[in-house]
Amino acid sequence: MSPAQTKGIVVRMIQGTRRTAVKYLNTTRPDRVEKNMHILRFIGTRSNSSRLALVAVTIVHSRKSPRFMTPSLTMGHQEGEKLDNINTLETRDEDFVERGNNNVSDDNDDQDEHSESSQSHQAVDESDSSEDEVAPRNTIGDVPLEWYKDEKHIGYDIAGRKITKKERQDKLDSFLASADDSKSWRKIYDEYNDEEVELTKEEIKQIGRLLKGKAPHAEFDPYAPYVDWFKWDDAKHPLSNAPEPKRRFIPSKWESKKVVEYVRAIRKGLIKFDQPKEEPRFYSLWGDDSSSADRTKHLAYIPPPKPKLPGHEESYNPSLEYIPTQEEINSYQLMYEEDRPKFIPKRFTSFRSIPAYENAVKDSFERCLDLYLCPRVRKKRINIDPESLKPKLPNKKDLRPYPFACYLEYKGHEDAVLSISLEPSGQWIASGSKDGTVRIWEVGTGRCLRVWEIGEAVQHVAWNPLPARPILAVSAGADVLILNTGFGNEEEQKEIKKLLHIGTSTSDDSDDMSSYLSWHQDEKYDCIRLRHYRTVSSVVWHRKGDYLSTLMPAGESRAVLIHQLSKRLTQRLPFKLHGLPVSLAFHPTRSIIFVATKKNVRVYDMLKQKLIKKLETQLREVSSIAVHPAGDNVIVGSKEGKLRWFDMDLSSKPYQSLDCHRKDITNVAFHRSYPLFASCSDDGTAYVFHGMVYADLNENPRIVPLEILRGHTSSDGRGVLDCTFHPRQPWLFTAGADSTIKLYCH
Amino acid sequence: MDIESETNSRRIQVRFVTKLKARYKVPNTAIAIPSHLHRLGLSSIVNKLLQAVNSEWKTEPFDFLIDGELVRMPLEEFLLAKGLSAEKTLEIEYIRAVSPRREEEPCVHDDWVSAVDGSSPRFILTGCYDGLGRVWKQAGQCTHILEGHTGVVSSVSIINSEGTDSAIVATASKDQTLRLWKFDAEDSSDQPARLRAFKILRGHNASVHSVAAKTSGDMVCSGSWDCTINLWRTNDSDIDGDTVSIKKRKVNNTDEESQSEGEAVSTLVGHTQCVSSVVWPQHETIYSASWDHSVRKWDVETGKDLSDIFCGKVLNCIDVGGEGLALIAVAGSDPILRIWDPRKPETSAPVFQFSSHSSWISACKWHNWSSVHLLSSSYDGKVMLWDLRTAFPLAIINSHKDKVLCADWWKGGCVVSGGADAQLHISSDISIQ
Repeated sequence: MSPAQTKGIVVRMIQGTRRTAVKYLNTTRPDRVEKNMHILRFIGTRSNSSRLALVAVTIVHSRKSPRFMTPSLTMGHQEGEKLDNINTLETRDEDFVERGNNNVSDDNDDQDEHSESSQSHQAVDESDSSEDEVAPRNTIGDVPLEWYKDEKHIGYDIAGRKITKKERQDKLDSFLASADDSKSWRKIYDEYNDEEVELTKEEIKQIGRLLKGKAPHAEFDPYAPYVDWFKWDDAKHPLSNAPEPKRRFIPSKWESKKVVEYVRAIRKGLIKFDQPKEEPRFYSLWGDDSSSADRTKHLAYIPPPKPKLPGHEESYNPSLEYIPTQEEINSYQLMYEEDRPKFIPKRFTSFRSIPAYENAVKDSFERCLDLYLCPRVRKKRINIDPESLKPKLPNKKDLRPYPFACYLEYKGHEDAVLSISLEPSGQWIASGSKDGTVRIWEVGTGRCLRVWEIGEAVQHVAWNPLPARPILAVSAGADVLILNTGFGNEEEQKEIKKLLHIGTSTSDDSDDMSSYLSWHQDEKYDCIRLRHYRTVSSVVWHRKGDYLSTLMPAGESRAVLIHQLSKRLTQRLPFKLHGLPVSLAFHPTRSIIFVATKKNVRVYDMLKQKLIKKLETQLREVSSIAVHPAGDNVIVGSKEGKLRWFDMDLSSKPYQSLDCHRKDITNVAFHRSYPLFASCSDDGTAYVFHGMVYADLNENPRIVPLEILRGHTSSDGRGVLDCTFHPRQPWLFTAGADSTIKLYCH
Repeated sequence: MDIESETNSRRIQVRFVTKLKARYKVPNTAIAIPSHLHRLGLSSIVNKLLQAVNSEWKTEPFDFLIDGELVRMPLEEFLLAKGLSAEKTLEIEYIRAVSPRREEEPCVHDDWVSAVDGSSPRFILTGCYDGLGRVWKQAGQCTHILEGHTGVVSSVSIINSEGTDSAIVATASKDQTLRLWKFDAEDSSDQPARLRAFKILRGHNASVHSVAAKTSGDMVCSGSWDCTINLWRTNDSDIDGDTVSIKKRKVNNTDEESQSEGEAVSTLVGHTQCVSSVVWPQHETIYSASWDHSVRKWDVETGKDLSDIFCGKVLNCIDVGGEGLALIAVAGSDPILRIWDPRKPETSAPVFQFSSHSSWISACKWHNWSSVHLLSSSYDGKVMLWDLRTAFPLAIINSHKDKVLCADWWKGGCVVSGGADAQLHISSDISIQ
């Protein structure tokens, strides 16, 4: 073993044991600690450190009182001699050395004068100042020593100043020194504390023992005789008299099995021996304490998410690019609450002008609710595309033709046009107006051909559905006039004249009938005048052109009257009407009449004289009704602007409701041949819908809104008052309160 | 900017040619003109050139044709649109612009003018909503009044005016009859002569909407609201039926001695709605337009329906013209004038569509001899002249204050139109080669 190796071991030993020894000294002999600290630096192994320290201390005492010397401390004397040498080596703390020498000399001079106690007292006084200086003096902390290899200092003192290294002797001096000094081989340089120490002979011996693998202390006997504290022979009865079992003497089968198992596993490579740990190349000075090495051993520590650090935008006066523009702020309003940015940067010119946190009350309230464990509703956002909720409607282009453009106007009336009616061939249109006139227009040119002055606001006009009977039923006030239009050839005219001529007998009806209705001959226009006892609101022809139904809303039980033109007979509807009748319509093919009261529509069979069906409109006030040309579907318009489509085969509830108009629907109409229907309203618009009814009963009617027809201007709250389709063309005529009739073409 | 200034200053080599008379000819040399010129600029250049030749030249508008198409935009755009090279010398043909240069004094009627026929150069025949037909010698000079209809005269047609002194005309009315009239066209007196029809044609069950005469003049056809087309003989030949009816009429009404009654020779059935317009351009074929959206071609001999064109709109007027009387111009309940070519197989789309009107079109007429010019009148109060070679109207006659109900060419160079303002306007001096 080389001397350098020996030195290294000793230094390490000193480092390990010094602190324990100091502690020991502090507790045992505090009086002399500070003086003997340098001795402690020579302390060898941990096992005998305390004793060594004790030895060292007693050496010091032995100088002043040799009689206290213990026989085991023969070598202590030598140590005492060495002390001087050591003290001379101490260059750093001269004061300390001097004092030490004085002490020693004092001790030597007046051995008897100074008692133990007085010395100890003095020592206590001194110790206060010097203990901190000498006590554990690692100046560089827990860092490798080589970091200071090339530095001029080693560590820092408490004030932060660099502790400079002692000047090393150059090689020549050290060689000369070693050549002169026979003990130089025992000297070791302590790098941590930057000083040279000399080992004692005893310590060298101890090291030699350690290197040989023996106990460091010469006195320690590893083979001391065994003292059996248990007295075997005195016991009357042995603890157990059982013979030693056999299993104690045979090798364990289980163990051998286990060994075989392990051997096999090792051979297969299932068990691997730990690889020697690699020292990390770099020391992580600022590394996290919760390093990976710790993590593998313990439960994984999941750190909480770090909150975002405040940015420039959260400043009270951020630069302009962080301030959102007004459009951006507006666009935040369109976003969902969750997506909206939580913080909108604002500028304040000074710190003073920053207002209080505006959500303070709200937040504290929320916090209170949280503390109260108050459950709150979490609104679930429904993620449905609104477009997908729309019913799939066919393209409008595929549903052509339908009316959309107004090219022709029929102008001439001086007041609101209340009602229009088309001649069955579609050549003429009749209109009745509030100005008391009935006009007939040529459809193709817009030419007014005839005017009748009725003298009273014309409520309703209806053209006879027979092409060969061009007569017009007109209701004005309480009268219904059957006018001869003068169209048709001579034979037809002759017949009509005969039909419309009543002799002198005007009251040939039964008495009760004459009280509320009378047939008159009107001289002025050579027509029939049916005088009712109440205002007639509408006139409807039966499809055969002979029956005529009139409606008096105020007529109570005689509200609906049915007149037969050829026989000049009148009868009332033999049913009790529940409510005020508003509108009526004939079934287009069968002898069925639809009577709309304010709430419901009742369907009566005229032949069987009974109620067939009651349609619940769910409307507040029905205003108009129209029957599909096939007869199974009915549309009902109401005064609140709602339109209801009833499929009579399906249900008595509406099949579809269309809420388009903003004001009262004034009339609804079906086209005779095209799958179209329309509604017109007081809001000045007319709506055209596609309403396809399939012959297949399994298929529901298809209703598609097509077009909003505008053009009429409103006057005193009324807009479009009547609408009707051309019988053969997909054209819609609308009569407006602005005293015009408009034709919308396809 | 550079490019723009370059195009602005770009010049095109052009040569002006014409098929007009010698006095309209300009020197046949190529000249360079700016490429941004419009028709007006071209016209002024030609006028300048003409003035250089003939110092007494009066400025006149011209229209310009490049490759058979009328120039209606700046030259450079035109060349770009047609893909023509601006490098070559461009040959521009010029013709006299088709537009009325003079507006005659209107002929005032008592009521809406519903029908007009200008096929005779000697007079104009009009029908009116007061039930009278009128014959106008010239603007403002009414020579004859045809009275007898009890309803609105809806259509008029000149049957025979050439050759003989007395002209024969037919009128159709909403009183379900047609009447034939005979008068001396040369008769000119200050007071209009009142005439009665020499023949009444009864047989329709509804208003007669249109009448058209055969080119030979011995027959007329009429379309009516009863969905039929009736064919009638015009000549008062000695048919038994006629004499019988004369006797009958004599018994009934002694006043109408001179009037005979005619019955339909045959009836063409097929339309499902009002037959709004008929034309009889060739000997054996009748074309009819109807409110049932179809145009039909009828064989007169067999009374069969030869072909249909389905239009999708209510049709009000039809005329056949173009080269070889092959193109059918049809218009009706929308502002588009459509022209069909039945020779083109497998197409149901019109070959031309003119859509400058803003309301229903009430009449359309081909020019007598030009195969590219036609006119249309509309309820928006405008009469437009069209050329097949451009999609823009050549001229718009805006003289009416209300709906125009009828329009026709007269004497090749005039347009006569009548409307709801009860006036017949004559726009004359239209130069069509």
